[in-house]
Amino acid sequence: MAYTPQFYPGNTSVGINRRKHMSGNIEKLRDVPEADVVTIMGHRAPGADYPSTHPPLKEIGEPKCPVRELVAPTSGAATGDRVRYNQFADSMYFAPSIPYWRSYWAAINCRGCDPGTLSGRQIIEARERDLEAYTKKLMDSEMTDVALCSMRGCTVHGHSLRLEENGMMFDMLARTEMGKDGNIYYVKDQVGIPLDKKANVGKPMSEAEAKKRTTIFRVDGVAFGGKTGARKFDEALEALHHMWEYRSKWGFRPE
Amino acid sequence: MAKMHTKKMFIRALNKKFGKDFDLASQKTEYKRLGPEQSARKREFMEYSRKLEGKRGVSFYNPYVHAGGIPLGQRQLVPYKLSGTEYIVEGDDLHFVNNPAMQQMWDDIRRTIVVGLDMAHEVLEKRLGKEVTPETINNYLEILNHAMPGAAVVQEHMVETHPGLVDDCNVRIFTGDDDLADEIDPQYLVDINKLFPADQAEQLKAAIGKTTWQAIHIPTIVVRSCDGGTTSRWSAMQLGMTFIDAYNMAAGEAAVADLAYAAKHAAVLQMSDMLPARRARGPNNPGGLSFGFLSDMVQTSRTAPADPTKVALNVVAAGAMLYDQIWLGSYMSGGVGFTQYATAAYTNDVLDDFCYYGADYFVDKFGGFAKAPATLDMVKDVATEVTLYGMEQYEEFPTLLEDHFGGSQRASVLAAAAGISCAMASGNSQAGLAGWYLSMLLHKEGWGRLGFFGYDLQDQCGPTNVFSYQSDEGNPDELRGANYPNYAMNVGHQGEYAGIASSAHAARGDAFALNPLIKVTFANPGLVFTWDDVRGAFGKGGAREFRAAGDRALVMPAL
Repeated sequence: MAYTPQFYPGNTSVGINRRKHMSGNIEKLRDVPEADVVTIMGHRAPGADYPSTHPPLKEIGEPKCPVRELVAPTSGAATGDRVRYNQFADSMYFAPSIPYWRSYWAAINCRGCDPGTLSGRQIIEARERDLEAYTKKLMDSEMTDVALCSMRGCTVHGHSLRLEENGMMFDMLARTEMGKDGNIYYVKDQVGIPLDKKANVGKPMSEAEAKKRTTIFRVDGVAFGGKTGARKFDEALEALHHMWEYRSKWGFRPE
Repeated sequence: MAKMHTKKMFIRALNKKFGKDFDLASQKTEYKRLGPEQSARKREFMEYSRKLEGKRGVSFYNPYVHAGGIPLGQRQLVPYKLSGTEYIVEGDDLHFVNNPAMQQMWDDIRRTIVVGLDMAHEVLEKRLGKEVTPETINNYLEILNHAMPGAAVVQEHMVETHPGLVDDCNVRIFTGDDDLADEIDPQYLVDINKLFPADQAEQLKAAIGKTTWQAIHIPTIVVRSCDGGTTSRWSAMQLGMTFIDAYNMAAGEAAVADLAYAAKHAAVLQMSDMLPARRARGPNNPGGLSFGFLSDMVQTSRTAPADPTKVALNVVAAGAMLYDQIWLGSYMSGGVGFTQYATAAYTNDVLDDFCYYGADYFVDKFGGFAKAPATLDMVKDVATEVTLYGMEQYEEFPTLLEDHFGGSQRASVLAAAAGISCAMASGNSQAGLAGWYLSMLLHKEGWGRLGFFGYDLQDQCGPTNVFSYQSDEGNPDELRGANYPNYAMNVGHQGEYAGIASSAHAARGDAFALNPLIKVTFANPGLVFTWDDVRGAFGKGGAREFRAAGDRALVMPAL
């Protein structure tokens, strides 16, 4: 019987959404033009050649190596692209994704990438053309809400702050703005350099939609452990207790 | 049941920070983007910068070079309430450069050395046949309090230090022998019976026994010019000269070498261990300071013995400042970011609220402090409850979340509350550590985020070293320290670990956590920092009310 990864416990919407993110089976909600994705990333101008750090692997003449024979290089690696990054901040007020789940998504579903997880941001580094494809997938998918998530290479402050009155996550550098048409526009790239032309990334989710798609446990959404005075543990919490106990015991008697 | 105990102590601080008219529960706000001018302290910085720029001949502080011309203050720049006090200061006032009390706390540690007297007395009595009596000891201490600040004895035509620059230097002795203590001139005695509650005094005297120790605090200005490694050398030289003078010895006789050896090595207790070469620090520097020693330096256990939570909170504050802001933030890393991080543990009554909630919870459940069994089941119960309570507060009060805007801040505070609660419940610091690590895992699982890269590493593998006693994998919390493997690089942990160690012992009613000599030495009323009220002292420093030692103004032209 073929093995089906389970990924994550729990039958709440949060548990289900976490499983979806990890499995890569995520819904496409919008289609941000590739040129806009590249512009917002800010590493190269759309249509420009990819800068490279080494010649194509075929020209290098790689040494004989069973691992190299087994693993086909990604297209970015094969052509010698430089390594670049995308970095997203997600609001704690029901943004669809959260840093560890962005990393799990990347580590499980994206080849040749290096995810890094922090509290207010999550970075993925990869060969440039591979990264652009991964970034588009993220921006198009249910892992992104354009008001509650934004691409921020630096000065990421905002994930834990109250939202702006229009429902957008705070951004010191004001890289995104809400247009009169209700769409969100990037006016600066991810490190805050103004764009020549605004990039429309579509309309934000409603609060109800964001709550439905979120992966964060909160008492005002899906609670992780019930409420004070009325505890009710999610299955994920119980699984974690088990794991913590075994880690602790193993440290005491590691045989 | 537990709900009745949620005091929400932080609400008062939030009202003061954000203004009393703001909506506590609102998840939205208007960001006015008022820039640095909204802060009195930033305005002062800009004004000084303008004043000094001409004199310097080179550009200076200018917040408008930040982030391509977008200055700090796009959100509200809020002040900080020192927890458990009425002090409200600007964040900038809590950087150690701007806070003389913080500097003095560290100076008081590195200028301190504890030196036993018994070995020297044996040399005098057994080798030289001299008589040592309370009278000779009093005479010795009078000479020593002349010499230790940097004055000459025995020799002619010597340079000396200006008393106005070194007046914080003093030496007192202490002993577990009440008969001897009675004979010592009170000005030279750290009086255990007077300074400690009776039950703690009995514990300390029993631990110290008939031995006699000198609590030596060399001048602050010396360690500010040199470093902590100087302290044993400075003190040993003056001790040796004082013995020669007090006991009419020959300056070069061989017994002097024995006295010097005792003063420099054999009878010496440094405040912290020397670090390995890659960290390149001598003894008496913060990297080698154990959590148990820091717990004993803080004196809240002596003046507020009925409130173990308060004891732990003051130790956390001391450790967050010393380990995070000075050791990791400056010695090891450099820069200014660590202050923002560390202050979360000792401002705005947040950790206080979470810890007192935990205390109420386990007292209800187990009947008091140090009554719960030190088991994984107890830790699972208490740490989970406290962590979930804390996370709920961040969720219900958006400005609380905004105040602890970094995940590492929240992780430190939540895990400290869980760890301290478990340690106080059981009177066992290892149970506290276990609670800390469970809290970290719960936090990460609930919100899908924790701290920063390296920070998360130590907390996710941490449970495996709590109960391990193999080589350097494990150690009692009291013996762990800033240089413990896996603890050596991460801000937001070490002060809290010290708080956990102290809380276990405070809950048990112990007079000390690790070393009775340290506990008594830091009860010396001659210290400049107020060791029983760490947070109050930091507030005083921030409010510019604290007078530190080591000032050079006396020998410089007036500004």
